[in-house]
Amino acid sequence: MSEIPENLSYTEDHEWVGPDENGGMKVGITDYAQDSLSDVVFVELPNVGDSYQQGEVMAVAESVKAASDIYAPITGKILAINEKLEESPELVNESPYGSGWMVIMEPSEEISSLIDAEAYKNSLD
Amino acid sequence: MVDFAGWHMPIQYTSIVSEHNLVRERVGIFDVSHMGQIFVSGKEASDFLSYVTTWDMNRLSKGDCRYCHILNENGQIIDDTIVYTFSSENFMLVPNASMVTKIFEWLNSNSADFDVLIENKSDEFFCFAVQGPDAPRLLRQFFNLAITPFKLVKSGNMIISGTGYTGEKGYEIMGPLSEGLEIWQSFLDMGAIPIGLGARDTLRLEKGYLLSGTDFDGNQTTLESGYSWVIDWNHDFIGKDKLLVQKEKGYKLLKGILLEERGVLRSGLPVYYDEKEISKLTSGSLSPILKRGIGLSYVDLPVGTTVNIMIRNKQLKGRVIQTPFL
Repeated sequence: MSEIPENLSYTEDHEWVGPDENGGMKVGITDYAQDSLSDVVFVELPNVGDSYQQGEVMAVAESVKAASDIYAPITGKILAINEKLEESPELVNESPYGSGWMVIMEPSEEISSLIDAEAYKNSLD
Repeated sequence: MVDFAGWHMPIQYTSIVSEHNLVRERVGIFDVSHMGQIFVSGKEASDFLSYVTTWDMNRLSKGDCRYCHILNENGQIIDDTIVYTFSSENFMLVPNASMVTKIFEWLNSNSADFDVLIENKSDEFFCFAVQGPDAPRLLRQFFNLAITPFKLVKSGNMIISGTGYTGEKGYEIMGPLSEGLEIWQSFLDMGAIPIGLGARDTLRLEKGYLLSGTDFDGNQTTLESGYSWVIDWNHDFIGKDKLLVQKEKGYKLLKGILLEERGVLRSGLPVYYDEKEISKLTSGSLSPILKRGIGLSYVDLPVGTTVNIMIRNKQLKGRVIQTPFL
């Protein structure tokens, strides 16, 4: 059973979005996604300052077997990236909602079409 | 689970990286029952096998296993195999799953001048590979046997050889299908961890072992594959003439590519040198031990040359190296 924190928002592409304490929206992949990927051995993150439209590929998570695109869950600018993932991509598996976060984005428009924990859970069934 | 040459097989039981590390550090067991078993017997079995492979079987003694290639008339690898010597007139070949039918037909179509019997018994055998530093302990516990590399022992109706595809100490055990489940369970009970296809691939790639259908697909010769040591030039065999010509002319050689930046190499990625695409990777992955991208490619460049690998429109720096990576 994968963990789905109540206080976060989600996409059907298995990303989570939640407010960061220093401003902006933190983004990562869900417990379900990390489990499906299995051992994450490399994460390619965007550059700070880059802007993405919702749904655009902004990062790639690679396991030994395959590469998976990570889509921008919202439209906006990259404020920060999780540089720890360069040395320790396994953090994505170990703590997908914690130290395995990927980027912090500054939304450039009103956030829409994210789903809540309940709806995300239903989408997995 | 994936389809692999018609077999339903797991990519991983738990995780590729943890399975990989368990084989390097302890012991794993692979269900490789998809591998073929083709028996060749008769007065001229040794001469016949010498003709259809790169090795002179008359040099083998009872109990020897020999890795060699089966070539077409152009010297190109149809498949690689291990030849098991039961006696001077009884042998077994272990071809790759996807090539069993092709090899069986190829052997038959070249056997007219030889007094041999060729039997495909691939459906009658299980095959498990027990691999890792702890493998000798398990073999001793279960069979009361010690087997040195590339030797085989028959124990009851089991064939056990000091062979494998991981570069670790290990054995391959073959026997009647009906007894497979019990053997599998016994080895799990002794501490062997089941290993899937994913780790099988990363383990063999770290050692630079060829994958049939991937590192050779019918278009590359034994010389190009970098396995010239499997050729005994002092005997006649199918493809020898063409290899002799190629030996004189020169050729591209399968080399290791070690990624010098962070990333994972994949089969099919283009390799650039001097701003030109020169080849593609035949195999690629990430070495769980080195934590570096590793791959194989047919290149005409000396070891140490810096090349670029194009990954998602970015050129990453790599170095041509002599395998094994580990």
